[in-house]
Amino acid sequence: MTVQLSRTAGRREVETKRVSLSERKQRRAAFWFLLPDSLGLLIFVAVPMLLAIGLGFFSVDGFGHAEFIGFGNYLRMAADPQFWSSTGVTLLYLVIVVPAIFVVGLGLALLVQQRIPFIGVIRSALFVPYVISLVVIAMVWQFMLTDKVGVLNGFLELFGIHGLSFLGDPQLTLGTVVVITVWFQMGYYMIIFLAGLQDIPGELYEAARIDGASAWQRFRFITLPLLRPTSFFVLITSTIAVVTGGFDLVYVLTNGGPSGATSLLIFYIYQQAFLYGELGYAAAIGSLLIVVLMAWSLLMFKLTKGGRFDND
Amino acid sequence: MVAESIARRSLIKGGLSAAALSVGALAAGSALAGCAPSSKSEEPLQFWQFYAPAPQQTGPLVQQSKWFMDAVDSWNKKNSQQVKPVFIPAYTNPANTRLATAFAANAGPDIFLLSPGDFLRYYNGDALLDLAPYMSQDAIDDFYPEALGTRKVGDGIYGLPMEIEPLALIYNQKSFEKAGLSEADVPKNWEQMLDVGEKLSTNSQAGLVLEVVPGYYQNFTFYPWLWQGKGDVVDPATQRPQLAEAPFQNALDLFGQSIKRGISPRTLPANGDLPVAFKAGYAAMWQSGIWQLAAFKQETPDLPYGIAPLPTPKGGEPRTILGGWAWVVNKHGRNPEAAAKFVVETMGSMSEESIKRVSDWCFGAKSDMSPRKSSEKLMAANGAFEESHMKIFKELILPTGRGEPRFPPVVYKTVSNALQAVQLAGASAASQADTAQQALEAYLANYRGAPLL
Repeated sequence: MTVQLSRTAGRREVETKRVSLSERKQRRAAFWFLLPDSLGLLIFVAVPMLLAIGLGFFSVDGFGHAEFIGFGNYLRMAADPQFWSSTGVTLLYLVIVVPAIFVVGLGLALLVQQRIPFIGVIRSALFVPYVISLVVIAMVWQFMLTDKVGVLNGFLELFGIHGLSFLGDPQLTLGTVVVITVWFQMGYYMIIFLAGLQDIPGELYEAARIDGASAWQRFRFITLPLLRPTSFFVLITSTIAVVTGGFDLVYVLTNGGPSGATSLLIFYIYQQAFLYGELGYAAAIGSLLIVVLMAWSLLMFKLTKGGRFDND
Repeated sequence: MVAESIARRSLIKGGLSAAALSVGALAAGSALAGCAPSSKSEEPLQFWQFYAPAPQQTGPLVQQSKWFMDAVDSWNKKNSQQVKPVFIPAYTNPANTRLATAFAANAGPDIFLLSPGDFLRYYNGDALLDLAPYMSQDAIDDFYPEALGTRKVGDGIYGLPMEIEPLALIYNQKSFEKAGLSEADVPKNWEQMLDVGEKLSTNSQAGLVLEVVPGYYQNFTFYPWLWQGKGDVVDPATQRPQLAEAPFQNALDLFGQSIKRGISPRTLPANGDLPVAFKAGYAAMWQSGIWQLAAFKQETPDLPYGIAPLPTPKGGEPRTILGGWAWVVNKHGRNPEAAAKFVVETMGSMSEESIKRVSDWCFGAKSDMSPRKSSEKLMAANGAFEESHMKIFKELILPTGRGEPRFPPVVYKTVSNALQAVQLAGASAASQADTAQQALEAYLANYRGAPLL
């Protein structure tokens, strides 16, 4: 008996050793796989980010002269009407674009998950705008939206609507940029939602159907709850993309105009850095943006327990 | 008490972290700056510009590129310190951050082209070398004061202009004919300009195109209308802002009225390509510059168009603005002395070669006015002003010109905000002028740098 026990223990020990050996190998492999990416992130993201945060405490004239001014740039922000106006434009853009992307992305995903002919072609067509350069997209839209002779104005003329300036009227321009942004991004988020939808077990829908649940009830009580992790991902990434992206679009389409209507914060940072040579001030605004976005992401993680939304 | 001490401790910790971060940032910045080219004088001097060596083999850029290459070759043959032309794509595009980032990294070019709009940023940043010690008095006097003035600080000369580019009213003769108008209807004052513009406006054609895109160029096109009413952004003598005065409000109002009355478009027809817009019948009148003559010749050689001085307000005086680029030398470059000699010998000496070179640039490589009297004489002798459009520019428009002003970015932005608000957002000119005046007064109270001209 004693001999048997000791043999079993010995076998276990050998197995544990084998497991730990293979685990160690796996860990080593993981380390080497992750190393290039980690180095890339460190060199091209973390270090420049830290440099930018540091730069925010200096007055830098763009000609190699720097003076430490502590929180001077941050105090300047508080009294800068252009900064607040750009923040307002960014917030407005954000609160319209993020829900719009969510709704359109999810709507398209629900449509393209149907088994219909040429569904692959339809999915690809909807995704194509996302892989085209934003500058090219902006230029094409610029031609289509030209005053008087643009395609869209020509179309509206058929219905007796004329004189609209989609890129020159401050009341229309931000809306135009929003539409183009949603059109550009919807394909990407459609794919994300589609992946989420395909993860939901079909039996749940089948059981609900047997129980007499309507299409809306199936969507409300099965699809939406089980899409929570995907929704969380979409909300976080689209918020970050909207706040930090959009520069190319705004630069080509409107150059921040008309009358500052599309002067997003990211565009204002660029202006401060490269047009006015205020590198320190631009870095400070950028740093503030990083802090706000990190706080927003942490809050979302905390509230949703990492996107699970439940207690498991 | 405990909470207070913790708070203080965390505050100190935070402050120390920030300081450490800042020191780190600067150290890294210095390390990056260390990547800047060394100051060995035998290395070729880099000459950044947007002409040569031409990346394309057609169009006027080929001639312009050849002109630059010839100028550099001529210097390189005679001097051991070589110069290398470096073509920077989209150099004139404000989105191009290459020049700004090069200087920020202490790796700016030795010689580069600079517009008056950017002059003060570089001068106040102590980046420009005084070229006056390398020039003869005759050569200095040979430059028109309107062209050289905005590149001077005291007796110092910090850039040599290579061209003068005045603005005018360019009109589409076919559009005039279609509307039953003749040359006699070409507007001479603001009221006529708006009335004629109204007659020329159709569902597909803009009566009058004024710049709408916010930026240095829009301000550049706006200043002549302001000057015509005897106004200014900043009084050159007192250095006090003059934006609350009537001329500024009137000029703002002109831009606002042209949009309100449906005469001017809110976006540029044909994406800003004037000859194409004229040919397609998208625009009838357009405020633009002498450089369009070459564009017409290249893109639409058979299209009839006319040139007229910018219309003036009642009681005002004819004024236009004189744009153009200048050659400047980086004070902290590889060999600033040789760079200065190269610039002066090529563009600003009294040698026959230098005079001819400027003349060849303005008449041949381009169609511009000369910044130098001697080169202008040579251009005249070569028949440059016999062509009718050039003649109008030379005789009617150039004498009313004033050099493009040099303002720091904050001044530019203040004017731009007011202009955009009145022109495109329908704001009141009076209130925008007041806001702009206050903003500028606050800024100029603490401004340190060369005078605003």
